[in-house]
Amino acid sequence: MGILLFISVLLVAACGLIYELVAGTLASYLVGDSVFQFSTIIGTYLFAMGIGSALSRYLNRGLVQRFVWIELMIGVIGGFSSALLMMAFAFTQGFELILYAIVVVMGVLVGLEIPLLMRIVRDRYQFRDVIAHVLTFDYLGALGASLLFPLLLVPRLGLVRSAMLFGLVNAGVALWSTYLFAHQLSDTRALRAVCLLVLCGLGIGMVEARHITATAEDNIYADDIIFARDTHYQHLVLTRFKDDIRLFLNSHLQFSSRDEYRYHEALIHPGLAAVPVPHRVLVLGGGDGLAVREILKYPQIESITLVDLDPEMTKLFSSHPMLTKLNDKSLLSPRVHVINADAFPWVDSNPDSFDFIVIDFPDPTNYSLGKLYTTAFYRAVSRHLSAQGMMVVQSTSPMFARDSYWCIAQTIKQAGLETYPYHVYVPSFGEWGFVLASFHDYTPPSSVPSGLRFISVEGLPALFQFPPDMSPLPMPANHLNDQVLVRAYDNDWKDISH
Amino acid sequence: MKVGRRRFLRGGSAALVGLSLKTDRPIAGSFVNDSFQMGHMLRDRASFHPPKRIEKVSVVVVGGGIAGLSAAWRLRKRGFTDFVVLEMNPQAGGNARWGENEISAYPWAAHYVPVPGPKAEYVRELFEDLGVLKNGEWNERYLCFAPQERLFLYGRWQDSIEPAVGLTQKGRDQFQHLEDLFAKFRATGEFTIPLELGRTSKFQNLDRLSFSDWLQQQGCDSRLVTWYMNYACRDDYGALAKDTSAWAGLHYFCSREVEEKGPLTWPEGNGWITRRLLERVGDNVRANEMVHHIVETKSGLSVFSGDTEFQAEFVIFAAPTFLAPYLLEGFPRLHDFVYSPWLTANLTLERIPDSRGAEPTWDTVFLDSPTLGYVDDTHQSVRTHIDRTVWTFYWSLVEGTPAQNRQLLLEKNWSYWKEAIVRDLERVHFDIRQCVSRIDVMRMGHAMIRPAVGSVFSEERMRLAHPRRDSRLFFANSDLSSISIFEEAQYHGVIAAQTVLERLHGHR
Repeated sequence: MGILLFISVLLVAACGLIYELVAGTLASYLVGDSVFQFSTIIGTYLFAMGIGSALSRYLNRGLVQRFVWIELMIGVIGGFSSALLMMAFAFTQGFELILYAIVVVMGVLVGLEIPLLMRIVRDRYQFRDVIAHVLTFDYLGALGASLLFPLLLVPRLGLVRSAMLFGLVNAGVALWSTYLFAHQLSDTRALRAVCLLVLCGLGIGMVEARHITATAEDNIYADDIIFARDTHYQHLVLTRFKDDIRLFLNSHLQFSSRDEYRYHEALIHPGLAAVPVPHRVLVLGGGDGLAVREILKYPQIESITLVDLDPEMTKLFSSHPMLTKLNDKSLLSPRVHVINADAFPWVDSNPDSFDFIVIDFPDPTNYSLGKLYTTAFYRAVSRHLSAQGMMVVQSTSPMFARDSYWCIAQTIKQAGLETYPYHVYVPSFGEWGFVLASFHDYTPPSSVPSGLRFISVEGLPALFQFPPDMSPLPMPANHLNDQVLVRAYDNDWKDISH
Repeated sequence: MKVGRRRFLRGGSAALVGLSLKTDRPIAGSFVNDSFQMGHMLRDRASFHPPKRIEKVSVVVVGGGIAGLSAAWRLRKRGFTDFVVLEMNPQAGGNARWGENEISAYPWAAHYVPVPGPKAEYVRELFEDLGVLKNGEWNERYLCFAPQERLFLYGRWQDSIEPAVGLTQKGRDQFQHLEDLFAKFRATGEFTIPLELGRTSKFQNLDRLSFSDWLQQQGCDSRLVTWYMNYACRDDYGALAKDTSAWAGLHYFCSREVEEKGPLTWPEGNGWITRRLLERVGDNVRANEMVHHIVETKSGLSVFSGDTEFQAEFVIFAAPTFLAPYLLEGFPRLHDFVYSPWLTANLTLERIPDSRGAEPTWDTVFLDSPTLGYVDDTHQSVRTHIDRTVWTFYWSLVEGTPAQNRQLLLEKNWSYWKEAIVRDLERVHFDIRQCVSRIDVMRMGHAMIRPAVGSVFSEERMRLAHPRRDSRLFFANSDLSSISIFEEAQYHGVIAAQTVLERLHGHR
């Protein structure tokens, strides 16, 4: 019996420390300033434990029953503390208030545990043995917990499930105690039923933890989510606020329906309207069909080939009524051929030639995407460009990512093309940049399709003017073996978001 | 008693709360490309059948590794076709062999060539032939993609293999001191690739002590410096610094320019070069031909392989030189040819293992691992989305003597090595067991020549590299240089071919 008893001391101590670590870690993750968070949380927690110890003297009768209840309360509050805090951060303004309230309540309850346990067992051992044994196992448990937490729990289970796992341990100790001290209890059946209930609740929590995190994270998007899916390739989220539909890929905004016409008109018309007789067009990326919508405004175009990695993306934009309304069912046009393939190998293996090529990929946030912004890629693409053709490249913001923008322009130039950089203002993005490229001199078009809302023949020259704060910077080209762009992009955005 | 993390998790905390962990995949695999059985037949001087047929051919090249194939490349490039390359294994390529599955091609050993400097004239010529070098520019697709390498140390990644994280001031100073020394040695022009074009007796004394002794003399003893220097020797020579000649250790650091944008690499490693060479000389290559005897005759040499006697005027011996005493009658025992045993493995991964948030790199190394880490074989793919891959895992067995380690390679079964590899990787990639579906292991008892103390300037080696003028047999293996790298193998192969051509034209 002795060893069983002390193992529960060990477990209880481990649990107490885990909740403290969970609170500290979550606060550091979500609010930042880990030194401050850990110091104040540990301080508050220890102080609250002192209150708990002080209060323990007022508990006189039915110690075992009270101990079981305390364990259950710790199990429930502690077990759900992490989920609760994530929700609090996502859905309320009072994260700190709730954080410290939980820390205080937990501290008080944990502070009650050890004094109660000592008193429960005091008749079985000498006083000095009780103190020695209980405290030894208490500190051992703390060591175990502090090692388990960073090495196994956080990397393997995550914070939400780690807390729940230890909630289960607390509830387990409660249930165990009803057997261990059965003779000191009057109504064990009811107590055990409650224990089982708590264990079940936490068990379900463990299984459903993913949904809890997802719900909390989804609230980062300001608006209603009308569609969310983890496709094989990316995390795709559509939101709507009144008449504004927004698409996010891996949490990066792709367009807002309020001003996407600015982006897509600017992407297509300065280049395409300048191609003498465009017959065949290639679009790389752009599975939303919005660029294709603009391209279809040219009746002489015979075929548009759209290459996008993600079939779920092109399917969604071919079928969802709200979205086909946005892209005028462009992907369903008989002139459009949708191919779901990885762009670089497709470009390498396809023999066709095109009069206009649109390259509209996500920003170069990592080395995988960075391959699509290299001299090797632009060289491969330029082999598909007809002599009189034009190519346009989405090139990030010359304002927020000035180094990156001019690095892309330099890369295209080094791939053997003439470049014509330009930029537009898209309210939901800010100042945004493109690079036109061709084998010949660029003459701005003398006409553009009728009915455009943003691009006009008169307005075009201004797009090619760069004010001093966006003017060209000398940048090296981006190569497969030396992706300066990914590093530059990382730095550019680090500078403006701390 | 050692309890693995996995067992602890399974049997301990996990079971306690009935937490279900994802189950591990069953791992298939076997030993592949074993060739020691054939080697042991030679060693034990097994009796071979007398020949059933005779073939006359001007030149026989023994061994179809890079040295042999390079000799063939040179012969054919000069319009000479009356020769055969005899390769013991079913597949030519030697240390530049490769494999392929539905996910990727992968190397079995050598997996890159550093961008060759100006002295490596023949390598540059080859790369121009293969379209790797065009108008003075290296084809971007064959240069190693970014990000290239990473080292896992003290619980995190850093993006080069030379340790930078956790250095003490002393360690930093020592790295700086070494860098300055290396720059000085580099400037002398003594340390070149090919080695033969720069080496004079100037630093011969450095061949008389070990690299670790030399480092001690320079006062370089800090923990991370020592680890890195040993890593370099294990990686390039299959030996610890204490078993490596100081001259060779310096050669590693002083033979190449600091600013390299390479190396050159391919999914199948140097297997890519083997494939391109075979496209050009494959007609002359005969696989599964184990030469078991070479005898001098009045007019030349007879090479016995299987049922055939090849009667040749000249022989280029491109196989590892240590085989010579077993094949050539009356050939003296060799003393200065020590070889390091290696183990490589190719791991098929059904998904990309967790890397603690880091993006995959080409080369991955763990601090303080007895192994050399692994190379990601889909790294040179231009795809943006890669969800399955093959890793090539490298392990030079350096603790103890080569003979002991060869014994170990023979004794331990596949499961032993599989488990050792998975455990090594598991330290960093927690979920590796849920990702890997197959591990094929290749054991090489004599994987590479070891530049042991005294071997770079060994008289025996010099004698074999520079045979008498009337000789009809020319050695060509990279072990003539005492270091086992592509450039040396290619150099000796080309030189041997040129010598043979000169001799043939001379008396015709």
